[in-house]
Amino acid sequence: MICAEVDTCVQTYVDGELAGVDREVVERHLVGCPACAGRVRLEARFKAAVRAHLPRPEVPLAFRLRIEKSLATQPIAPLRWPWLSYPRLVPAAAALVLLVGITGTVRESQSGLLQQAQRSYRAEMPMDITGSDCGSIASWFRGRLDFSMHAPALGGGATCQGGRLVNVGERPAAYLIYRMQTGHRVAFLVFDPRDQSFEAPERRVVNGREIYVEAGPGISTATYRDRGLGYVVTSDIDEDALTRLVTTSFGR
Amino acid sequence: MKRRPLQSDFEREALPHLGALYAAALRMTRNEKDAEDLVQDALLRAYRFFDTFQAGTNCKAWLFRILTNVFCNRYREREREQVVLSEAESSPANLEQFLGGTGADARDTETALLGQMVSADVEKALAAVPSDFRMAVILADLEDFSYKEIAEIMDCPAGTVMSRLFRGRKILQGLLRDYAVEQGIITPETPPGTAGDAPVDLAAYRRRRDRGEAS
Repeated sequence: MICAEVDTCVQTYVDGELAGVDREVVERHLVGCPACAGRVRLEARFKAAVRAHLPRPEVPLAFRLRIEKSLATQPIAPLRWPWLSYPRLVPAAAALVLLVGITGTVRESQSGLLQQAQRSYRAEMPMDITGSDCGSIASWFRGRLDFSMHAPALGGGATCQGGRLVNVGERPAAYLIYRMQTGHRVAFLVFDPRDQSFEAPERRVVNGREIYVEAGPGISTATYRDRGLGYVVTSDIDEDALTRLVTTSFGR
Repeated sequence: MKRRPLQSDFEREALPHLGALYAAALRMTRNEKDAEDLVQDALLRAYRFFDTFQAGTNCKAWLFRILTNVFCNRYREREREQVVLSEAESSPANLEQFLGGTGADARDTETALLGQMVSADVEKALAAVPSDFRMAVILADLEDFSYKEIAEIMDCPAGTVMSRLFRGRKILQGLLRDYAVEQGIITPETPPGTAGDAPVDLAAYRRRRDRGEAS
């Protein structure tokens, strides 16, 4: 290993993140190279000095009390069952409670559709087709789906990244990935909405359209219908930003 | 069936990290009011979704992921940072000048440049580092998260963490050096070097090693 190569991994070494053969090779080099050994010492001292100069500030007492008070006034992890948002579903909920009582099984708090979308989003599965041309990606799905699909047009400089053929229920569906200018990833699950229930904790109406929104700690999901197709949009932006984003895609 | 979380679970698992969250939020938002709003939003969100936290896993990393997410959604777009980095970034030569010599032991740090600067200077320099790089430095150097944990918190590959951290530290060193020059602690004689500006990448070495050319 030459000095220039050691130089590229001095910080990784100092952070204790260099492992195995790489670490052994660097350490062997450092034994015989005072210059690189000096660089390692400098980086370690810089790291320690910065830390020593940046002590953790005190949390203001008033703020701490405000946090504790606001936590005490609301329930922890409230159940996010669909019928809490939809009083019309209460009879169905009652029937389900009866069913649960009989079978002893417990339903998940989300619809399978939302779970599928969130799982796919987190898994970051490889795409069947990649590219930044949304039109080409939409064309790739032609003949593979039993419905006609256009890639949603998003504002904010979002660009297409790729698509994957998936299934929703028994039917083929399209999974499209966009990247926003801010770096956030947005996934569209486009499917035939027949026989699919649109359940989500919060219903919003924007420009006369219904959007069902679920806010999670890391990702948010918006579900809606547009021109006869169903959409579940998942992203690592918050639910308000996601609602604004999907609203820009309506009718475009 | 998983037990529903209790408020006492949250108090035991999450609230001990309030200080770390507040410190990071203060350094990310650069003002107390925004830091308090950010931490409050993140903690309330964590509280509402505490059933999704897996007991026994790293609660601090989970909370920081939420904090980072709220920060990115709310504050990052506000920042219109002009990233003028090439001038400010540091080289090994001025890091040496900065810390007072490669042969020095830890005691020399007291008399070296960083020792002559006050915490406020270092806070000011850190605040001027662009947010993605600043966050990586805060998470690694002040909160001791591993690269893997930072990758999960910042939702990016580990390689991106390495390059953000590398760049963030270089920028911080360069900014501190500029302050030192301004204050007359050092003279601006040392020209910026180039040896330290390479990206963090072992690929070249591994390729040579695989070809049998490296020792």
